[in-house]
Amino acid sequence: MRDDTALWDAPRNPATPISLGPARLTPVHLTRQTLVSGPNVLQQTDLPLVDWPGAAPSDAYAAILRRDRLLLVNAPETPDGWNDTTQQATSDVTDAYTVFDLTGDALPLLGRGAEITPDIPSRSTARQLFGLGVFLYRMEDAKTYRLHVPRAHAEALVTHFEKAASHG
Amino acid sequence: MTLRLPTGGLIDRSKPLTFTFDGKPHTGYAGDTIASALLASGTRILGRSFKYHRPRGLWGAWVDEPNAIMNVTLDGHEFPNCLATTTYLQGGMAARAVNTWPSARFDMKAGLDLFHRWFAAGFYYKTFMWPDWHLFEPLIRRMAGLGAVSPDHLDTYTSDQTHDRCDTLVIGGGPAGLAAAEAAAQSGQDTLLIDDHAQLGGTAHQLPQIDATPTADWIAQRQSAIEAAGGRILTHTTAFGIYDHGLVGLAQNGPFGTAPRLIRLRAARIILATGAIDRPLTFANNDRPGIMAVAAAAEYLARYATLPGRQIALLANTPQADTLAAQLTQAGAQVTHVDPAQSPLSARGGKRLKALQAGDRTHPADTILASGGLTPLVHLWRHAGGSLAWCDRRNAFLPGTPPDNMTATGAANGSFETDEALEHARATGQNTPAKRPDPKHHITPHWPAPGSKGRQWIDFQHDVTLKDVELAARENYTSVEHLKRYTTLGMASDQGKTSNMPGLAAMAAIQGRPIPEVGTTTFRPPFVPVPIEMYHGAHTKQLWNPLKRLALEPQHRAAGAALGEYGGWLRPGWYGKGDPVQQAQTEALMARQTAAIFDASPLGKIEVMGPEAEAFVNFIYYNTIATLKPGKIRYGFMLTEGGAVFDDGVIARLDANRFVISCSSSHVDSVRTHLEAWRQDGNDPDRIFIHDTTQHWATLTVTGPRARAILDTLDLDTDDFPHMSLRETSWQDTPLRLARVSFTGDTSFELSIRASKAPALWSALLDAAKPLDAGPIGVEALSILRAEKGFLMIGKDTDGETMPHDLGFTAPRQKKSTPFVGDRSLHTDKANAPDRKQLVGLTVPAGAPPLPTGAHVVTDDEIPRSLGYVTSSYLSPTLGRPIALALLENGTDRMGDTITAWHLGETRQATVTAPCALDPEGARLDA
Amino acid sequence: MQIFTCPFCGPRDEREFHFAAEAGKTRPDTTRQIDPETWATYLHAQRNDKGRTREVWMHLPCSELFLMERDSVTMEVFSTHPLRKEPQ
Repeated sequence: MRDDTALWDAPRNPATPISLGPARLTPVHLTRQTLVSGPNVLQQTDLPLVDWPGAAPSDAYAAILRRDRLLLVNAPETPDGWNDTTQQATSDVTDAYTVFDLTGDALPLLGRGAEITPDIPSRSTARQLFGLGVFLYRMEDAKTYRLHVPRAHAEALVTHFEKAASHG
Repeated sequence: MTLRLPTGGLIDRSKPLTFTFDGKPHTGYAGDTIASALLASGTRILGRSFKYHRPRGLWGAWVDEPNAIMNVTLDGHEFPNCLATTTYLQGGMAARAVNTWPSARFDMKAGLDLFHRWFAAGFYYKTFMWPDWHLFEPLIRRMAGLGAVSPDHLDTYTSDQTHDRCDTLVIGGGPAGLAAAEAAAQSGQDTLLIDDHAQLGGTAHQLPQIDATPTADWIAQRQSAIEAAGGRILTHTTAFGIYDHGLVGLAQNGPFGTAPRLIRLRAARIILATGAIDRPLTFANNDRPGIMAVAAAAEYLARYATLPGRQIALLANTPQADTLAAQLTQAGAQVTHVDPAQSPLSARGGKRLKALQAGDRTHPADTILASGGLTPLVHLWRHAGGSLAWCDRRNAFLPGTPPDNMTATGAANGSFETDEALEHARATGQNTPAKRPDPKHHITPHWPAPGSKGRQWIDFQHDVTLKDVELAARENYTSVEHLKRYTTLGMASDQGKTSNMPGLAAMAAIQGRPIPEVGTTTFRPPFVPVPIEMYHGAHTKQLWNPLKRLALEPQHRAAGAALGEYGGWLRPGWYGKGDPVQQAQTEALMARQTAAIFDASPLGKIEVMGPEAEAFVNFIYYNTIATLKPGKIRYGFMLTEGGAVFDDGVIARLDANRFVISCSSSHVDSVRTHLEAWRQDGNDPDRIFIHDTTQHWATLTVTGPRARAILDTLDLDTDDFPHMSLRETSWQDTPLRLARVSFTGDTSFELSIRASKAPALWSALLDAAKPLDAGPIGVEALSILRAEKGFLMIGKDTDGETMPHDLGFTAPRQKKSTPFVGDRSLHTDKANAPDRKQLVGLTVPAGAPPLPTGAHVVTDDEIPRSLGYVTSSYLSPTLGRPIALALLENGTDRMGDTITAWHLGETRQATVTAPCALDPEGARLDA
Repeated sequence: MQIFTCPFCGPRDEREFHFAAEAGKTRPDTTRQIDPETWATYLHAQRNDKGRTREVWMHLPCSELFLMERDSVTMEVFSTHPLRKEPQ
């Protein structure tokens, strides 16, 4: 029984952009995030598929997570559960992932969290950054990097970015 | 007496810098190292040796220096163990030699040297065995060690860590490295050149010109050409290790006092141009201050315009020594050549060198420059797995069979002549195969001579002498790896850069074996000492293992929660600032008397979906899940294939093809991985899908006799809703999952809602609870409540051997007919053994305090044997007496027995009972 | 630090991977009698080969379970294949 409250800074739940030197981390509010899995899910979706480095449109798209799993961003609402017709499993995970856009001189910051380069593409957007599981891809402008981090680790990710930015 | 020359060198004479050494003021110039500034001022003693506290001066000019190690204070912060030869001077530095008190010049422990006969290799092992090493250890540890860490600057002393890549990495910015990098960059390779000095050039600075161009211009031309071709250059940067798959560890040094940056560099090809170092000659008193490497003297002269001394005996027969002799003579020193083949050799003088005795001749000298030949720096080559090949003509190990994608060039490759090195380097840079040039000179070997007189140093920093090597050989530590560990040769912070070759040559001579047969010890990273901060970077404190944070953490903080780590999450242990034990008692009692609200959000919410979901969860669980009806919940275990309980929790069936696994809070990640592994290995992954939705949800538990009253205020449909049911409903137009499960034994409801809606639900529940004298409870109170009921916590009340039948869950083991993970393991001799540890309760006599958790239940034999141990123990505020759970050998057959519990020498009596101490009939569940 | 190639995601840093098991073991059919030796071998016997090995690894970010052939001495990776058939 030990009170460790003082060892842990209160989470900021950021609503406003965080300045990271030459870059900037902006919280993004998405209408909906949906996890969809199925044997043919990559072929079935009408939404544009996004991989690494990717080029996600500003409205709705499908980020590839696995060979049989997508994260639908801002897709129309569909019922959770197993759909026998489409052979798809669906779960609403809107509140499971906190989303940020990293703009400005982003690559040096990302390079502190992972051995990563846009020159080496990947079919999946899922990777580890600073040891935390994230989904990471670029938006259509090829300058904005979007990150989805499990909500409970959002504070750790922001702090990692701040530490990385402090080294200039 | 200054040894500084009026002109030349790379120092900036317009910028004098003042500093102190062992309290005495000194002046140097910008561009000096601490070592070069002290040498220029005539300071001869820069440190004391580790074991005998012998006075020591400079041997080297860069990373191979074994002696001049200092604690340096700048701007009020002290930095330990700075190598004076690689620490660039800054004004205001206060340097102090380590291992000495009060100063290097007058060291109180110098008397230790008089007892050197006692301190031979193995002295500590042999002397302090009896009666017990631990008796002597504190004193020995106080005497040993180098600098001390001053903790005040550690908060800001953090290393940046980053990743980078390139086509061709050239390590070393000397003549060969510059030529190789230029050729590589100009042939279109993405090239990175690194050098650990402040300035490029390496040994080029010792030459008046290269390719008929003045040296400074030649270096500048190479630098411009590399950058013009798109190449990058990093100075102050050391490649300290080569790791798997072409990864190079780079330490980039910033200003003094800042932690270096770690660059993890992935290079497709590495060109090693790391140069070579001089090796010492082994003769009597060869550790005296004033005995310096030929290569070091050349560096001090070229870079820092400093003579090593005025009256110099040159004990070497390399072509480099001849060049240097001419330069020193020209600069005003008096140089005497002495053939190292003469015997015996000994240095005369104490703190100040007086002469070199060679055979029957005495050569007066204040300085001896010695060289036994050059040793290529092949550390990185060996890190990468390249082999070494012995060269008789150079008397050195050279790079042999190359590791993947690495080429050595220049002096590192045994090319000690600049012109031939440049040609090879250019070809290497262009990636065209080039043969190693044949050496123009044949070096006469001068290795240690076993049996010769006098104290002859092999390892300066760790005070290993030739006699220690002879002793090790006599005691059969003849393998170089044994020699190293027995004598600590090469184990100091210089890692044997100067001592390994003489050490293994001595062993070869003692045994009459050729040097290559004796071989070298293993080269391991780091090449130079690097601070531990570089390895952890930002991964420290809150970022070391970042806890998961609750959606409701702000609300808990506002409610005065005491937060702590519980299973990887930061959770409220209790609320309020009172005594923690008392707070938990108060909260537990409130939960039993009225009701409690508990944040159970970390509980797993792993959905298993698909046409084979039912068969899959039935296989994963110990319990039969196939018979579970939609809308119903079942408690069960997951086992390892070895039959041990891996996780417990409830599983709910939402419909025919959809289950939700509510695994324990600390196990979500491991259970998800466990499920995925079985899904893809042995099952059809196209018919089973696993979604971990845990963090989408917040889960609030309402428990206690007034739980229903609180729930009623939310206006949820709870008709016909028995224990172990689940219902999907909604609250404030938001989907809400309502479950009736109980970890307290009281009527309980679990409400799960999307995390963003959790604050509203939390407020509504607290508002409803307040008029009933109910409120929030933390994990500590919940632990009491579940223990009263005998409900177990995985990993606390179970260990790695606990099987479900040890916990009273026997039916599936006997009856389940379909396969499940761990099934066969439940029927081994071990699983059937009569002495298995089983979960029981323990009660203590009236008035006795709770048993200590972890106390062992012991036999009453003369030498007691452990029968098990207390896993959970609390004071139950509801029962008004202590309760405890224990894993006890054959415990179910001991019901009613009195047992002895032992803890830290004290014994207590207790009675074995069933685990459940409160409401065994379960009447409170539907009260 | 090694680079492994996830059959789906491509080359990634070794920190994203987890060793799962040596390849080639099949779970005995536990609906039949299994003698203790067979079960013990399945549970505990490891080849721990020096040199060329076949192992099952998991790529944690995408949870792909795959076969990897590599050399346990030189750390060279020869090939990676999904444990299941690639979808058509």
